[in-house]
Amino acid sequence: MHVAPHQNRHNSCYVLREWCPLNDNRSAAVRILLADDDAARAGALTKVLSADASLTILRPQPGELLADAVAALAPDVVLVDMARPDRDALDGIRVVASNSPRPIVLFVDQDDPAFMEEAIGAGVSSYNVLGVPPPDVKPILRAAAALFRHHQTARSELRQAETRLREQETVNRAKAILIRDRRMAEPDAYRWLRTRAMASGRRIPDVAQEVVAGERRTKDEGRVQTPEHTQETTREEGAQ
Amino acid sequence: MSTRIRIGMLRLTDSAPVVVGRSHGIFDTLDVHPTISIEPSWANIADKLTYGLLDAAVMLPPLALASTLGLRGPAAKLIVPMGLSQGGNTIVLGGEAIKESAGLPPGARLLAWLAGQAGRPRIAVVHRFSTHNLLLRYWLSLTGVDPDQDIETVVVPPEQVVPALASGQIAGFCAGAPWGVTAEMAGAGSVLLGTSDIWPFHPEKCLAVRAEWAEANPDGLTHLLRALMRAQVICDKPEQAETVVDALADADGLALPREAARAALPGGSGHEQIHFHGAGAAFPAPPHAIWFLRQMRRWGWIDAETNIGGVARTLYRPDLFSLAARMEDLFVSSAHSRNFEDSDAFTAGSASETSTLPF
Repeated sequence: MHVAPHQNRHNSCYVLREWCPLNDNRSAAVRILLADDDAARAGALTKVLSADASLTILRPQPGELLADAVAALAPDVVLVDMARPDRDALDGIRVVASNSPRPIVLFVDQDDPAFMEEAIGAGVSSYNVLGVPPPDVKPILRAAAALFRHHQTARSELRQAETRLREQETVNRAKAILIRDRRMAEPDAYRWLRTRAMASGRRIPDVAQEVVAGERRTKDEGRVQTPEHTQETTREEGAQ
Repeated sequence: MSTRIRIGMLRLTDSAPVVVGRSHGIFDTLDVHPTISIEPSWANIADKLTYGLLDAAVMLPPLALASTLGLRGPAAKLIVPMGLSQGGNTIVLGGEAIKESAGLPPGARLLAWLAGQAGRPRIAVVHRFSTHNLLLRYWLSLTGVDPDQDIETVVVPPEQVVPALASGQIAGFCAGAPWGVTAEMAGAGSVLLGTSDIWPFHPEKCLAVRAEWAEANPDGLTHLLRALMRAQVICDKPEQAETVVDALADADGLALPREAARAALPGGSGHEQIHFHGAGAAFPAPPHAIWFLRQMRRWGWIDAETNIGGVARTLYRPDLFSLAARMEDLFVSSAHSRNFEDSDAFTAGSASETSTLPF
C-alpha cells in the first residue's frame, strides 16, 4: 500500500495512487460505516460483511447527515450508496466540515480502473477515512458491487412491470374515450389505435397517451368556460 | 454522422440548456442523440466522468478544476468547451430573526443574524468545490466573517437543502435555483442575497466533456455545442420561459417545481435570474478558471506550485467554442454593428437574424 499525499502540507486531500495488498497481520477490526438507505440491501450487505470477524459494521442513525455520522462513529471506511445525495459531503469533509479531524481519502484503485468503473456503475463507492495505510477494502467493495447489481436488476424489472401496467391502463382509457366519443366497438377502438401507431411509426401506448391528453385538454377548457360542461364532465368521469 | 453521448445533470434550473435541447428537438436537428442521466449528487457526476460512465455533464467549474487536479480522487482528463449559465444562486438564512432586518444591507443583516445565533451556525453549500462555496467564502470574508471560524460549512446537495433547512439540520444555505425561492415559498427561510450581487454575471455551470470522448468525436462535439448554443438562446428569451418551464417541470425529467423554476428564468420574479447565452455566458473564458483556482489556493486547497494559468488553459477550450459559434453565426459581425446607427437597419437586422436561425 502506498499513499501519496500531495507535496504541500496544507493540502487536505490524499490520493491513493496504487493498490497493493496488506502484508502485516493487524488484529484491530476495521470499522466500516455502511450508509445505504435501501434497508433490504443494507441488511444483505451487513450479513455478508459480518461473516468476516475482522470487520465491524456501523450504520448511521435514520435521518443523520453522513458528515455527522462520520464524525460521531470515526469509521476507517465509509461504504456508501452512490444514490445517497449527501455523499457529496465526503468529497471534502475535512475542510468543509471542520469538525472532522481526519483526512478523507476517495478510495481509488488505479491499477484496476475497470473494477472501479464496475463498482461505480453498480452504484457503490468507497471512501477511506484514515490517513494511514487503509485496510483492504477491495473484497468489501466487490461484495457490495455484486449485491448492488443484484438489487439493480430486481429494481429495473419492477420498473418495467410498472411501466407495462401503466401503459395498459392508458390504452384502456383511450379505448373508453373512443368508444364513448366516436361510438366505436371495442375491437374497432383498438384497431384504430394500432393503425394510427403503424402509420406514424409510434408505439400504441404513445398514441393512446395522445388521445387521453386531448381529452384532458378539452375538459380543462370546458371547466373554465361553462359550468354546465363541468357537470357533464364530472358525470362522465364517474361513469368511467 | 450521428452523435451518441451520455450527459449527466442534477435537478437544477440551470440544467435547462440540455433539457431544452431535447424537449425542443434541437439535438435531433443536429443528429445528436444524448442519453440524459439525472444524478443525485455532484460527487456522482464527477465520479462517473472520471471513470467514463458519462461522456459529458452540466458541471460546476471549480469541481471540473478539482477533478482535473486530482483533488478528490484520480485526476480526470476533462475539457470545458463552453459555459452553460451565469448566476442564479441565492444565500438563504432560516428562522424568524432574519425577517426583522429586511431593508438593511445584506452584510449588516448577516452580522445581526450571526450575533443572534447560539454557537457557529451551520451553512450548507452544494459541494466543497462549488461556485457557491467559493463565492460565499469570498463574500463572508469581505463582510468580516471568517468562513472557517465563525460558521460551520456543511455539504448538502441542492435538492436536499430545503428539507434540511426546514428541519433545522442547517441554519442557512447557498444553493442554485429553484431551491432559494422554494425555501421562501415553503416559509423555511429568507433570501439574503444572490451570488450575482457578489459577482455580477459570474460564470455558474459549464459543460465538462471527457477529453477522450472529445478527441474521438470532434464533429460530434461541434454539433453538441451548436445544439446547446441554440438551446441557450431559447432559454434567454422571456417569451419562451413558459416552454422552458414546461420542459423543466416534466415529471419524466427533472420534475422541478414550476413556479420556483420560472422565478429564476429571464423575466422571472425571483431574486436572481439566470443568463444562459447573452452577456458572454456561453464563452468558456480561461480567466474565470484562473479566478476560481486563485480562490482555491487562497483557502489552501491547492498548493503554491500548481501552475494556475496552465491548468486553466488546458481545461478551458475557447478554441473549440469559437469553431462551433462561427458555424452558428450567433455573434453579430462588425459589419452588422456598423448599421446600429440606422434604426431601421437595426430592427430589420435583428429580425432577420432571428428568422435565419434554424429553429
